[in-house]
Formats: sequence, C-alpha cells, structure tokens
Amino acid sequence: MTETTYPDRIKPITPSAERLDAQRRRAKLAHAVRRASIYILAVAIAIWILLPIWLIASMAFSTPADVRAFPKQILPSPFSTQTLEFFLNTQGIINSTINSLVVAVLALVISTLLAVPAGYAIARYLFPGRDAIRLGILSVRAFPVVVLAVPLAVVFIRLGMFDKVHSLAMMHAALTLPTTILVVASVFASVPYELEEAALIFGCTRAQAFWRIVLPLALPGIAAAAILTFVLSWNEVFAAILLTISNRTLPAQILYTLDKSGDPFKFAGGFFMLVPSLIFIFFIRRYLFNMWGQINK
Amino acid sequence: MKKIGLTPYLLLLPSLIYLLLFFAYPMVQSLQLALRREGQYLHLRAEAKEEAAPTGTVAMQTDVTVLDRVRGEELLPNGRTRPVYWFLVEGPDTSGVPVQGWVSQRDVFIESRTESTTARVVNGEATQEWTLDYVRRMVTDFRFGNALATSVLLIVLILPLQFILAIVMALVLQSQIRGSTVFLYIYAIPLGISDLASGILWYSIFTQRGFLNSFLVSTGLLDQPFIFIQAGNQGWMIAAIVLAEVWRATSIVMVIVVSGLQAVSRDVIEAGEVFGANLWQRLRYIILPMLKPSLQVALILRTILAFQVFAVVVAITGGNVITVLANETYRWYDPARFNNPNVAAVYAGFIMLLSLGISFFYLRAVRSQEEATRAT
Repeated sequence: MTETTYPDRIKPITPSAERLDAQRRRAKLAHAVRRASIYILAVAIAIWILLPIWLIASMAFSTPADVRAFPKQILPSPFSTQTLEFFLNTQGIINSTINSLVVAVLALVISTLLAVPAGYAIARYLFPGRDAIRLGILSVRAFPVVVLAVPLAVVFIRLGMFDKVHSLAMMHAALTLPTTILVVASVFASVPYELEEAALIFGCTRAQAFWRIVLPLALPGIAAAAILTFVLSWNEVFAAILLTISNRTLPAQILYTLDKSGDPFKFAGGFFMLVPSLIFIFFIRRYLFNMWGQINK
Repeated sequence: MKKIGLTPYLLLLPSLIYLLLFFAYPMVQSLQLALRREGQYLHLRAEAKEEAAPTGTVAMQTDVTVLDRVRGEELLPNGRTRPVYWFLVEGPDTSGVPVQGWVSQRDVFIESRTESTTARVVNGEATQEWTLDYVRRMVTDFRFGNALATSVLLIVLILPLQFILAIVMALVLQSQIRGSTVFLYIYAIPLGISDLASGILWYSIFTQRGFLNSFLVSTGLLDQPFIFIQAGNQGWMIAAIVLAEVWRATSIVMVIVVSGLQAVSRDVIEAGEVFGANLWQRLRYIILPMLKPSLQVALILRTILAFQVFAVVVAITGGNVITVLANETYRWYDPARFNNPNVAAVYAGFIMLLSLGISFFYLRAVRSQEEATRAT
C-alpha cells in the first residue's frame, strides 16, 4: 500500500486543533471589535445629539453673569433659575407663551376633530377616489408654509381676521391636517375590523361600535397625532410672524426681538422652546413610524 | 372593508373643504398678488358723452394736447346747474400709439378750462391687469441672487451630510445592539425641535463668547476667542447653519430610512452576508437599491423643507449678511421693513416653483436611471 499522493493544489486541509482554535479566537475577536465599534458609533451619535441640548440647558439654569462669562464651563455652573426668570419676566414673554399655548391647543382640537372622521373613512372604506384623495393628502403634507403664509395674511387682513390667535390656529391646523389624517388612518387600520364586526353582531349600531370599540383602541394613537399637531404649532414661526403683530406667539416674539436681546435671553428662550419637544418624543415614541415611516405608500 | 355608500365621502368632506380653503384658495390669491396689479385707465370717448363708445385707453399721468372743447351743463342735486367742459384730446395710449377722443373735465388736470392747450390725465377706471413688475423687482433686487445662491448652497451642503448620517444612524439601529430603542429615541429627539431653537442652540456654540471658543481657549488651542460670526466670515456662518440643520433635521430622514430598512427583509441581507459580501458591498448592492423609494421621498421632503429654512439663518447670522429665499420673503412682507406683500408673493411663488421643479427632477432622474439599468 502506497500512501496516496495529492498534487499540491488539492491537498486535503487537515488543520491542527491549535490552528482551528486560533482561527476561532481571531474570528471572535474580530466580531467583538465590530460590536464595540458599533457601540462606540452609537454612543458618539447620541452625544452629538445630546451635547448641544445639555449645553443650552446648563446655560438656562445658571445666572446671567455665568451666561456672559468666558470661557464657559462645560460642566454646569452653580444651579440657578435666575436666567430663566429673567427671560420669563421680559415684557411680552408670558403673554406670547399663553398665545402659543392657546394657538397650539386650538390647532390640535380643530385638526383632530377633522382628522378622526377622515382617517376613519380612509382606513375602513373602499370607495371610488380613495387613492386619489389619499395621494392628494400625501402631496400637500409637504406643502411649503412660506408659500401659504403671504396670501393668507392678505386674505386675513381683508376679512378682519388678521392678528387674531384663532386665525393662526386655523392656519396651523391646516398645515398639520394632512399628516394627522394619515396618522389617524394608519392607527384605525391597525384596529382589527373583526372587533367592530363582533360588536355589530352583538347588537351595536355602527356609531356605537365606533364609539365603544374602535375609538378607545385608537385613542393612544390619536393622542399621539394630536401631540404632534401641538408641537408643530408650538414650533412654527414663519406663519406666526406673518399673521400676528400684537398677539405674537412665543417663537415669533423671540425671533422678532432676537437682534435686540442679550445672550441670557436668547439661551433661556432657546431652552424654554425646547422643553415641549423633549417631552413630545416620549409620548409619540410608539407612533414614530406611523408618522413618518409610511410616507412612501 | 364596508360597502360603498355616501358615508366615506361625508366623513372626508369637512377635511377636504378645510384643505381646499387653506391650500387651494391661498394659491389663487398668491397668483393674484404676484402677477396682478391694480391699474387706473381712462377711456377716451368718441363723443362728449359718458356713454359714448371708447376710442382708446390712456394711462394715468399722460400728458395730452387739447384740440377742441365743448361746454355742457350738469344738474346738481339742489336743482341748479353748473358748467361741465368736455375736451377733445390727443395723446399716446397705453402702448404708445397716439389716439384721439373726448374726456370730461373731472378726468384731467387742466390750468384753464377755456384756454389751456395741454392737460394731464388724473382719473380713470380701476382695473386689474397682468404685470411682471413685481417679478422684475424681485429679480433685480441685489439680495435676490445672494439669497438664491445661499439657499442652493445650503441644500448642496446639508443634504448629502444628512443622508450619510441618517443611513449610518439607521444601520447602527438595525445592527441589533442592546438598547437600540433608547438610541432610537435619542436620535429622534430633534424631530420636535424648531429651527429657531436649533439656531439659538448652535449660536450658543459659535458665538464669540460661546462654547466652541470656550473650549478652544481653555485647551490652549487659541489665545483669544475667534469671532466666527461676523460679516467677513461667511464661510463660518454657513458652516454653523449647516451644522444646525444637519443636527436638527437628520432625524426625519433617519426615521424614513429606518422604516424603509425594516421593509428590506433580513433574509436578503443575510444571504448577502453568507455569500461573502462585505459591509460596503451589502450596502451598495443590496441595502441602498432597496431603500431607493424611501430615500427618494426623504430627498423630496428635505429639499422642500430646506427652502423654508429661515429662523436658523436669522438666529445664527442675524439674517442680513447671509440671507435665504424664505428670509427675503419675510423681509419683503414685513410691515416694518419693505411692506410689499406683492414681491413677497413673488418670492413665495418662486420657492414653490423651485420645490416643484426639483421634486420633478428627482422623480425623473430616478426613473430614467431605472430604465437605463433595465435596458442593459
């Protein structure tokens, strides 16, 4: 018996145990390095997002003297509410904050009341023109507010609705209505139709089935959409500054007085406007993808 | 799904009317503001009578020669009469061609009704007419070119950075690391932050006594603060705006990309992995092509939104040295400044056309690319 000889090319690979081990270890190490670098990247991006917020918050919660100090400390100077108090006591700030809240709540109410039936219709009925209407609503959701604000201001002046809090709320409701309808529709669509059918079988009328079964299930989603409207309205500045003069909302007031104000006012104002957005993300987190994810369908 | 009736339409009707009222009607109004002008024109008459046929139309303030005159009587409410003169005049009409016709004395300014041989048209009928005056005013304004260039420059700088960052964020979130939901929420925080707040935030970093200078000086990299935001430092101002916008508006792209990624089946990506595709190859040949619809939508959305960037620019630079189209719209509208809603409407319309044009271009570009790949 002669030992089989192989040409070099097809020599069977019989790795030794040690070599196998080393290979496995190397693969493990490479994997660990990859995981670690992903974590580092994830944390780095999180710092990129959070650092500016931290900086402005540390300024808002310090004394005006610390705000003007140089060089500034990255770690917060002694905690103080003086800068925020100074901001809130500036003339027009409390008023404009109240205006902002009124506008945002009104916009929220209008857009929710309109969007719930519309969203339900899109989610539950198949009717001629449904796709066209959906597409139309989709296409106006990105409609530039800059384009609408100028003519609306002129129309509002003519109708005697200029510089009124409720006119601005109506405009904000219009801006968010397309998004709200689509979000509400996707929320309704996620409520199983079988539940509604069961309610009908057990003797509910259609309205009762909606009121008792569908609406309670959809309520968290509708609330999220409403909060979205609130925040968009709270943030909106272009239409606000065009449509109001004496009844300015907070961002419009801040923007209007920006070039005449010092850093303590600006930083405290920046932080103050930021607060609702930080809470907002907590409330809508489950519906993040309902709001922006379904955009291309 | 229920059977078709009137119900869905009734449910949708309030919303549709509301949207029509607040989107369609202002658009018509905007067109009116931008392209129509209140004009006043005087119609010359064939005879010395109000109801006589018109012979031509003369603009306000036109000088005319008086060829003839007649004296008439006008009955006053108290029963008396007073003399009213009609003049046969000749002058250039709206397009410069000489015309002849009769005008009443109340429509012209004339020194002496009985003797003067020249008069000036001072009255007429109000009419609406098409005009390009406001468009001309926008285009010839020295800030227009500046604003357009800056707007486009910002888009060119911001969008690629945003998309790269958003895709990186999405891939990180999709790589099944522990705590990825927490990271998702952190990355999504800027979704709710206004451009004004974001502008102020980055102003606090870039201003003379701001955090960046604090850092550079206290680490000894600089001896004294460098003034990033000043008229001579346009590059730094643009950089600050770009950072603020990338910081604020990448989240929405990220959310769109993540939901697009969720639609890409993991099997496909894993198959790529099994067949030995490295990260770049998986990205280039599997993930990006499947993300294309999402990216396209995000691109259109971000471009439209980018043209509306306004408060960031004002918060960081003051809006004078660096200006953008939306800022100009506001400046022209602002009653305290130019107080000219017409030119503001032209700006608004211009932004609208740009947004539409670019969206259309994206859609076309992507489609023709698809056709090209199919053909090969």
